[in-house]
Amino acid sequence: MKMSTVKLNTLPVQTFSWLGVNDTHREHEHNGIKAVTLDGDINEINISESAAFEITAHCGENKTGVMFIDPRGKTQINTSVSVESSSSVRLVQVFESKAQTVSNVDASLSDNASFELVQLFLGTSDTLSEINTQLNGIKSEFTANIGYLLSADNKLDINLIARHLGRKTNSQITANGVMNSSSKKVFKGTIDFIKGCCGAVGAENEDVLLIGEKVKNKTVPLILCAEEDVQGSHGASIGRVDEEHIFYMQSRGLPEDKAVQLMARSKIAQIVNTISDEQVRERIYNIIGRDNENG
Amino acid sequence: MSQLLTITDLYVSAEEKTLLHGVSLNIEHGSTHILMGHNGAGKSTLGLAIMGSPEYTVTGGKIVFEGADITNESTYERAKRGIFLSFQNPVEIPGITLWEFLRNSLEQISGKHMKLWDFKKKLKAAMELLNMDISYADRDLNVGFSGGEKKKSEILQLLILEPKLAILDETDSGLDVDAVKAVSQGINEYKSRTGGSLLIITHNTKMLESLTVDTTHILSAGKIVCDGGAELVDDVIQNGFDRYNGKE
Amino acid sequence: MSEKTYVADIDRSRYDFRFEEDESSFLGSGLDSEIVTAISEEKGDPEWMRALRLNSLEIYNKTKMADWGPSIDELDVDKIITYIRQKSRMNTDWNDVPDDIKKTFENLGIPQAERESLAGVGAQYDSELVYHNVRKEVAQSGVVYTDLESAMHDERYAEMIKKHFMKLVPPTDHKFAALHAAVWSGGSFVYVPKGVRLDIPLQSYFRLNAKGAGQFEHTLIILEEDSYLHFIEGCSAPKYYEAGLHAGCVELYVGKNATLRYSTIENWSKNMYNLNTKRALVSEGGKIEWVSGSFGSHVSYLYPMSILNGEGARAEFTGITFAGEGQNLDTGAKMVHNAPNTSSYMNTKSISKSGGKSTFRSAVVVNQNAHGSKSAVSCESLMLDSISRSDTIPAMDIRTKYADIGHEAKIGRISDESVFYLMSRGISEQDARAMIVRGFADNVSKELPLEYAMEMNNLIGLEMHGSIG
Repeated sequence: MKMSTVKLNTLPVQTFSWLGVNDTHREHEHNGIKAVTLDGDINEINISESAAFEITAHCGENKTGVMFIDPRGKTQINTSVSVESSSSVRLVQVFESKAQTVSNVDASLSDNASFELVQLFLGTSDTLSEINTQLNGIKSEFTANIGYLLSADNKLDINLIARHLGRKTNSQITANGVMNSSSKKVFKGTIDFIKGCCGAVGAENEDVLLIGEKVKNKTVPLILCAEEDVQGSHGASIGRVDEEHIFYMQSRGLPEDKAVQLMARSKIAQIVNTISDEQVRERIYNIIGRDNENG
Repeated sequence: MSQLLTITDLYVSAEEKTLLHGVSLNIEHGSTHILMGHNGAGKSTLGLAIMGSPEYTVTGGKIVFEGADITNESTYERAKRGIFLSFQNPVEIPGITLWEFLRNSLEQISGKHMKLWDFKKKLKAAMELLNMDISYADRDLNVGFSGGEKKKSEILQLLILEPKLAILDETDSGLDVDAVKAVSQGINEYKSRTGGSLLIITHNTKMLESLTVDTTHILSAGKIVCDGGAELVDDVIQNGFDRYNGKE
Repeated sequence: MSEKTYVADIDRSRYDFRFEEDESSFLGSGLDSEIVTAISEEKGDPEWMRALRLNSLEIYNKTKMADWGPSIDELDVDKIITYIRQKSRMNTDWNDVPDDIKKTFENLGIPQAERESLAGVGAQYDSELVYHNVRKEVAQSGVVYTDLESAMHDERYAEMIKKHFMKLVPPTDHKFAALHAAVWSGGSFVYVPKGVRLDIPLQSYFRLNAKGAGQFEHTLIILEEDSYLHFIEGCSAPKYYEAGLHAGCVELYVGKNATLRYSTIENWSKNMYNLNTKRALVSEGGKIEWVSGSFGSHVSYLYPMSILNGEGARAEFTGITFAGEGQNLDTGAKMVHNAPNTSSYMNTKSISKSGGKSTFRSAVVVNQNAHGSKSAVSCESLMLDSISRSDTIPAMDIRTKYADIGHEAKIGRISDESVFYLMSRGISEQDARAMIVRGFADNVSKELPLEYAMEMNNLIGLEMHGSIG
């Protein structure tokens, strides 16, 4: 095994260096793991060590992959997704890693292809996630739903890039998160409209609920645009629970801490509820419940 | 009838502006009060102040509920005592279903654990009464609800939580005929089942038709300018507020 | 003649005029301690200033270029003539201003602007102030408005300047801040005493004229408690074929409960590198209001920074950037919340056209002690064709939960429906598009004094017209 320091999660266009968001340095292990091809319709996998996966949806196929990632040691997870014409891939990745984890999702989409990605980070101690989606085909669609529930001194670093190359492509990126104690998080999300992607639409939204006294949150939403005929938007809202919400819930007899807890659950539930499989949802709610009791 | 809520010389301000100038009001156990007045007279302010909204500051006077001074109590403590406010604009909470929220509320207020089966039964009965589709129970709280559905969801909560005092802030405004009927049925059910008190803020009489009004108050520029019986409501509807303005 | 930086463009004749320079007034090009010492001697710097210049030169030579932002590879700083000594000295009477300079200014409409209710004119011709006049009433209120160089030699202000100069923007901040500190020349000094509220705006007009000249003016404004000032900075420069550099520096100190409005319309010629650094330090209850229009220059790096250091301090930034052919304008703002209950608000628009590139870049930092702080950022970009480019690069760094931070951004084009609607009312397509773009820019134009708003609308009209004609 070879070790070297690499730059990961590089912001596609660099900005003020003092912000410390341009990239993340990591000691990298070249583990040389051979990719496993997931070729069933539905794949539910428990991952406890470094692994690489390939998911290909051939014309007309609809594939679903569900990964519960709870490794014991330093781990690298690579997932390569290829969605061919008129097919779809839904990928759910639930990270519960207590060890340093690096995840990489590379997706490429053909005409009318659809890729839905759900990533949930539930009390992950130190996780870095990079997501690169190329919307090559006409009318291809990318939906990313990202949820994180951080506590203690958890660290999370996400770099998501949706590159619109094809005409009438669509990307919808939603990130909802809750930060407790002294957790740290960076979310970099980029919508990149390449010249020629006429009619493309990209929207990105991050909603962060800050609960801990010593949290550090960085949000960097980029829109890069070299095409006139596009619509791009991003929004971010960061802070405490809205006073109006607290008042409403208090008026129905819930004490403030309970109200905050409920709002935190609401943030994550919005992401979890996008998963269609009820069993998977239940398993996730069990993890959330368990963590809440322990925390 | 014994006193449920006693408000004495209440002054309330928001953003350095005084909105209520010495309001006094008594509500007895089991009585029905109507609060009328122009827009901006301070009706909603009074409702929100009784509930303890953080947007308003009580700068004078006090609010006593069943003998306890609640002027400085937190909102949830007031709710536990049995005060309920039906909001004009209830908030939307995505990710939390209506039934989940209501069950949480009920358990907090009653301090008792309720079996899921029993709770759902109670919820279903109340929803049927309000002519609400049962699927709303599984929808996120108020998210994507129409104006009427939101108001029904508030009355549904009233029926489940069974408070001692229900303040209804324009629960009938913006509703179509059928919805007003459903909402009044809900209010009647609350009244007959629990014998609770009502403070109804309203502009019209439709919702009041099947209720026995005990007292009517007219609020103008942050002051109660007139108290009367049920007949006052009809008078206001016919002749307007003007003759009550400025009258002590 | 270098063809590289020559930008054949729309008719900008109204803004492009220059007169022959007398070559003898150049001190030479390139940058070493000799030239810095020469500048210092020429200025008759006090010892501390000479030391600061030489120290800054060392920092400049050691500091690397930024590894982000537009390329400035074509800029050869050493070749840029850093200092042009104007033969004329300070003038307080318009009649004494040399004729060719006067003519340039007359073309720019300065005396007229002055007549039209402007309080004073501090116009910089190349590197030195040649015309300076403050209305009597302004002077009587105790407001000091003078050029920084003479203020530095005035014992009444010398200490104040020493205490504040390059303290907000230290020479170590970035390479061009160091360059500025080493070779700065000219600029304004404004001091508003406690409780004085000036209801007429003060204006300064910067202008570059000499071939290859760099302009390094420094603006230092100090507002004492409970005072108010509106300062307007206007820039325009003639087009020339060699890369020009503007590395100015603006340091604003806003006292307790004081308000400073700082408006700028920049219209550098399209071969300029505008690497300007602007920063405000706001005390308790104070407020800084930035209004900024960026139209000219070949490359711009411009992100006025507001440091909210006192409880309840506020900052507002309203800006517009219009990048046309050959332009790469990287603009935005930085907000730093360092105290409780501070608030910041940013509203920007950017327009890209005819191959121009505009970038909105921002940073909002809310530190751990800034409880109860609020920040709202809204930026909108308009793409007028598909050969242009528009990037939005905001960043938020939030370190307290007791904050309320909002951000929204949009990018798009002029809707066909709007153009169609206006055309159905008898407006030509070209006028309709120009009208829509002017409307898009109204966040800035409505914040400007009328004559500036009109000037800005004319500029937009000119830019829009150039594309189609």
